[in-house]
Amino acid sequence: MKQTKTKFFLITLLIAFCNTLFAQLSVSGTIVDQDGQPIPGVTILDDNNKTNGTVTDFDGNYTISVPSDGTIKVSFIGYQSQSIAVSGQTNINISLEEDISALDEVVITGYGSQVKKSDLTGSIASVSSADFENQPLIRVDQALQARAAGVAVTQTSGAPGAGYKIRIRGANSITGNNNPLYVVDGLVVGNINNLNASDISSMEVLKDASATAIYGNRGANGVVLITTKSGKKGKAKIQVDSFFGTSQVVQNIPVMTPAEFAEGVNLRDAAPGKPATIDADRIAELRAGAGVNWQDYFFRSAPFSNIVVSARGGSDDIDYYISANTYKAKATVINQDFNRLNLRANINAQLNDKLKVGINNFVSRSENTGARVNLATGIAWDMNTPPQNSSGEYNSIPLVPGVGNGTNMPLLVPENNSVENISDQLISSIYANYNITDQITLNISAGIEKIDFTNSSYEHGITGPNKAVVKDQQALRLQNTNRLSYKNDNPDHAFQADLVHEQQSFEMTFREATASDFFTDSTNFKELSLAGIQNTDSGISNEKLESFLARINYSLYEKYLFTASVRADGSSKFNKDNRWGTFPSGSLAWRISQEDFLKDHSTISSLKARASFGVTGSQAVDPFSTISIPGISSENNYPFTGGIPSIGVAPSTQMPNPDLTWETTTQFNIGFDIGLWDSKALLSVDYYSKKTEDILLSRVLPEFVGPTSITQNAGEVENKGFDISLNTVLYEKNDWSINSNFNLSANKNKVVKLVDGIESMVLGNIYYDSTFPVNPTRVEVGQPISTFRGYHFEGVYQTGDAQGTPGHAKYRDLNNDNQITSEDIGNIGDGNPDFTWGWNLNLDYKDLNLNMVFEGAQGNEIYNFQRMRMMGLGSAQFHAVHADFRDSWSTTNPSNTIHAGTQAARDANQWLSSQWLEDGSYTTLRSASLTYNLKDTLSVLGVEQFKVFVNGENLFIITDYSGFDPVSTASGNSDVDLGIDYNAFPISRSFSIGFNLTF
Amino acid sequence: MKYTYKIFTIFASFLFVFSCSDLEEDRSGILSLDNLQSEGDLVAALTPIYKQLQVTYRGFLIRTNTFGSDDLTTWWGGNKAPLRVFDGFNYGNGENADINWLDYDWKGFWKLIYHANSLVNGLQTSTAPEASKAIIEAEARCLRAIAYLSLVKVYGNLPIILDGMTPTGDEQRATVLENYQHIEVDLLFAEANLPAPGSTANVGRASTSVAKTALADLYLTWAGWPVKDPSKNALAATKAKEVIDMGYHTLLPINELWSMENANSKESILSAQYSKEEGATGNQMPAATSFHMARGWSDMYPELQFFKDFPEGARKDATFVTDIPNRGFSGGKIVTKTPATISWEKSERFHPMYGKWTKSEDLTVGPRTIGFRPIEVYRYAEVLLIYAEAKAASGSMDASALEALNQVKRRAAGLDPNAANPSVDVTSATVNDIVTEKGWELAGEHKRWFDLIRTETLEEVTAKRDPKEQVPLVRQPTKDQYITPLPAEAIATSKLIQNPQGFKIR
Repeated sequence: MKQTKTKFFLITLLIAFCNTLFAQLSVSGTIVDQDGQPIPGVTILDDNNKTNGTVTDFDGNYTISVPSDGTIKVSFIGYQSQSIAVSGQTNINISLEEDISALDEVVITGYGSQVKKSDLTGSIASVSSADFENQPLIRVDQALQARAAGVAVTQTSGAPGAGYKIRIRGANSITGNNNPLYVVDGLVVGNINNLNASDISSMEVLKDASATAIYGNRGANGVVLITTKSGKKGKAKIQVDSFFGTSQVVQNIPVMTPAEFAEGVNLRDAAPGKPATIDADRIAELRAGAGVNWQDYFFRSAPFSNIVVSARGGSDDIDYYISANTYKAKATVINQDFNRLNLRANINAQLNDKLKVGINNFVSRSENTGARVNLATGIAWDMNTPPQNSSGEYNSIPLVPGVGNGTNMPLLVPENNSVENISDQLISSIYANYNITDQITLNISAGIEKIDFTNSSYEHGITGPNKAVVKDQQALRLQNTNRLSYKNDNPDHAFQADLVHEQQSFEMTFREATASDFFTDSTNFKELSLAGIQNTDSGISNEKLESFLARINYSLYEKYLFTASVRADGSSKFNKDNRWGTFPSGSLAWRISQEDFLKDHSTISSLKARASFGVTGSQAVDPFSTISIPGISSENNYPFTGGIPSIGVAPSTQMPNPDLTWETTTQFNIGFDIGLWDSKALLSVDYYSKKTEDILLSRVLPEFVGPTSITQNAGEVENKGFDISLNTVLYEKNDWSINSNFNLSANKNKVVKLVDGIESMVLGNIYYDSTFPVNPTRVEVGQPISTFRGYHFEGVYQTGDAQGTPGHAKYRDLNNDNQITSEDIGNIGDGNPDFTWGWNLNLDYKDLNLNMVFEGAQGNEIYNFQRMRMMGLGSAQFHAVHADFRDSWSTTNPSNTIHAGTQAARDANQWLSSQWLEDGSYTTLRSASLTYNLKDTLSVLGVEQFKVFVNGENLFIITDYSGFDPVSTASGNSDVDLGIDYNAFPISRSFSIGFNLTF
Repeated sequence: MKYTYKIFTIFASFLFVFSCSDLEEDRSGILSLDNLQSEGDLVAALTPIYKQLQVTYRGFLIRTNTFGSDDLTTWWGGNKAPLRVFDGFNYGNGENADINWLDYDWKGFWKLIYHANSLVNGLQTSTAPEASKAIIEAEARCLRAIAYLSLVKVYGNLPIILDGMTPTGDEQRATVLENYQHIEVDLLFAEANLPAPGSTANVGRASTSVAKTALADLYLTWAGWPVKDPSKNALAATKAKEVIDMGYHTLLPINELWSMENANSKESILSAQYSKEEGATGNQMPAATSFHMARGWSDMYPELQFFKDFPEGARKDATFVTDIPNRGFSGGKIVTKTPATISWEKSERFHPMYGKWTKSEDLTVGPRTIGFRPIEVYRYAEVLLIYAEAKAASGSMDASALEALNQVKRRAAGLDPNAANPSVDVTSATVNDIVTEKGWELAGEHKRWFDLIRTETLEEVTAKRDPKEQVPLVRQPTKDQYITPLPAEAIATSKLIQNPQGFKIR
């Protein structure tokens, strides 16, 4: 890897010093189109002398006399112009590429169908590789971020290679899975974490029901269709892309000085007759520079590097695209490393004029290593105790017992424990396409996705009892799709029909070994047989799905467009009577600009109105959700004899529900697309209204019922909103070109109904039970899915107030009973933004390109439990470290925002309150890249193109939020615990440089 | 070409016809509880019931709602706010229903009850031998009764959820009396069907003396607040006497009682087992009762007045630690610092520590002290004192009852419990005397609080509280503080009515 880089740099240097002779040359050659057909009448000009020119003859041949260091410019209407450096060549053959206007772009709509953008009836956002080629990317979802209206891509964690959440037009389901369906080259896959962004040719996001209904029971959350690159006929092109750089957390959280911390400890611990916890001598030492700011130990500047090598080409019969990618990154949080390797081979072969076959293969491995420091408790740990004593040994516990919080010194875990998470993914699909007649095509495909996870961890004896856990999990997905398509060739009555039969199976198995009581720490999880106690666990689950689909597209006089589809799905997750679901959809569009009254209009170059309606489903529950599953694990074993535990089988924690069935989403969409000033501005506006019914709800039951949860079809959720996207050519003159792509998404999410007669339910379970006795969120009728719960903080009682103890927090007495009880917990906000937006600005000046991606959200709130904890609150938290604590109430500092630092004030403080709620709105420059295109300056070495670039990510974030950043949260993929900041992995700011070489 | 076409048509029609053999889930990997066939099946279904007993008794958390008693106080700092709420009586009208730890026993015992109900249901269709089924059912119902009794003592009346029911979450609370009645039915069944103590190597499993002791406990509770049915005192005495008369159980020398070796001794009637073979989980009692400087969590220690009143002697030495260990944690090991101990008056928390659980503590597992000795749920000394009190309360104090009391007193003084000794023996005793004795004997063992509310003496005991206690009293307790608020989350997910409005005695 390093060597490769060095080599390229050497070559670059060599080229720079190369000199060639300047002489007049006679250059000749042939100009062909993409299919290799010669093009007559193509203009060839000497770029430095516009009077010197020629055109190709009937066979596409030309001859021109130009200086040997000159450049020829080749142009022909309908094709992209090209400038080619002569560089002493006497024979230059050129292949011209069609100049496709934005409206003629082909959009992939699923199940083999490709539709011109102008002919679309549904709502589909399309992102092609050209849109993101100037942004260095690791993950596929990054490319969608800020580029597609109605698609919220949130980076929930700053861990390299991880942590994106995608929601298309809001969350439909409450506790069910709200992830979109990912389809890679026609094959449904479990995740897209490991895909290489530079393998992607295009991504289509299907948003409205007419687009998604063809995916029936799994289409409700929207569908992301990913098409990978395939080979092109012509000379082999080898491309090398690489970049490397460093990352850092965007900001640290301000803390007090160690001496201030110690004074806070003494204030809090003060009790009658008790001496100061941390004595005056030590405080003097702290003031002189002793003590610790833990964030200095947890964060680091983290290097990363990425290289992709690919080759693509093809002959008349066979084309290929192969690529290899390796990405290595350290995380900004200590001891967290990430490596990813992947390989791809896409090959197509035309066996005869009727039969075409192909195979797409992808294999990858990703590795996450290192035990992560617990930021939530670590940052709030004792500032008085350095990690090591003077002889270099760990200070495992606070120097003064009972200071800070109940955990051990935070560096013990990352520096001694081991974690290794490996994910291997294979995606392989094969197809055969047979043209039965000119109009009827049969396409049969089959695919396999296999994902193996190996998660190993070891807890070192220095942190507590030693323990190793190794878990192997295997997922296998098989899919077979058989499609029969008909297409006529009457432009006035263009008709297309598809019939599809599809079947899929998915199987998951795991085996887990837990070992403890090791007599040595030296082999960690690599040798479990050294453990005194060894336990095993295993499990298996399976699901099957069978589907039938029919779809027709009809276009009348290229003005009136109709699409209709119906899909039937049968799923093994439900009992026989509820197994099959039918999902219909229909849409129509009117290309108004094709009508005579608007044809050749000077301002409006295109105008289309669209409307669609359809039903999609979700079966997003785990297999075996309809039945009881007895609990079998060490949690149910008991040592009757006082020695070896006997095996227990506990009744199910899930209440069986044999009536479980589909959740359905009905969506209505209306929109228009307008092109102005010769398509210099393209505006698309969509309004949608979605209603999800029979929601698959995992409901928490009160303890006395026995089972702790039941999955039910209950409730309704509504999502309404707008997607707006505006693509404009802002300026295009001389050597300048400025393009802007702006999109805005506003979604209003509302729970319409829950289980009959119930107005609110507690459904989040990330914090309930572990951190808080009352869940910080709940789902309530009339509110968005996740509503923050808490007391209404109304300041601090002051000296002289009629009520309350001075210095104690004041809360609103909702039920006016003159007491603050749990009845006074109310709704204090929510984590849903009012709208999100993205703006991609692309500036070209000569060979320079500046690409900037801005992105933001407005109106969402964040429950900042990280700050709450740093203020000395929370279970197992003893003392405050946050800089805001300096402003805590005292008789001389009558603060109205922060309660007093005494133990009594702390006890009277509610952790769940609006005191910890903050505005999470933000605007960020997500990415900025400056690229210089050296074009063919290296052509003597056979280099076709060479670009160098510098890139910065998250260069600024404008926000009032006081945490690390307003983006990353601990809620991860959950929609019921949205917007909670606690032990989140902060996102990073990074800088990189890189190059892109084609030869 | 023709040939290819044919192949394709055949292949295609095959695929269109062929489909996944069926769309049924393969459930062969899932075990069913509806089919308990062998003795082994029965034990496997019984195990998780005991497991919940173990989980719930694992540490101080089960005591959270009972910190108002004078044998318990906590650290004025750290994360002990929930314990301070109860120690200082900052509850009683629905407030502080939403605090941590409050619902620990609620969750643990309801889960136990669910496991027991499921097993009893499963027995209806079980093909296992009838004799085994009867014992297993008796054990399940015995533990269910103990769990219910524990919950009713803390929270008051509860919904009745027994086998054969399919609860939905909409159930309402019964009355305390109705709860006592179904607990009694379970215990009487258990008493009739459980084996005699010591008849099995499974030291952790319930014997008939467990059922009898729990019955005695139930009747004594029934006789006191809140139901106050004095006729139950005689029943309590009868059941306690039956345990005494079995002749199986004995009192151990007090200085040996809490050692690891004397776990599951003849003094133990029911205890929750914590085996090292399960891994390093153990129980948290040594850590809960040790100060931070002794590598514990400073969760629970005796109130100063309680300690002062506690009579000197062998039992006081075995109950408390007055020289507090001074320890650190370094290189993955707990180490002793210099000086090795610090007197309690000058120690970190200015209180003595309990020594009942630290006597058997293990300092070799991780950063905190930990315990593997079984935790006593009922032990023989309690049976003797229940007998004495029930006799006194029912006005039938006699020699046998005095002997029972004196056995405990003699043992406390380090003497042979069975040899009369005029230096300690008493010749008369009031209910109050016996309750006080019981408080000393069972100090810290999750008993004192229930004695105080049952006998309605909480108020007078609290009045004697040492003003030097660092946890402030928010109020003097009244009957409103006798019961704990139901957990806020349980109220939110059900139709239960919060205390005190929902508290119904009869």
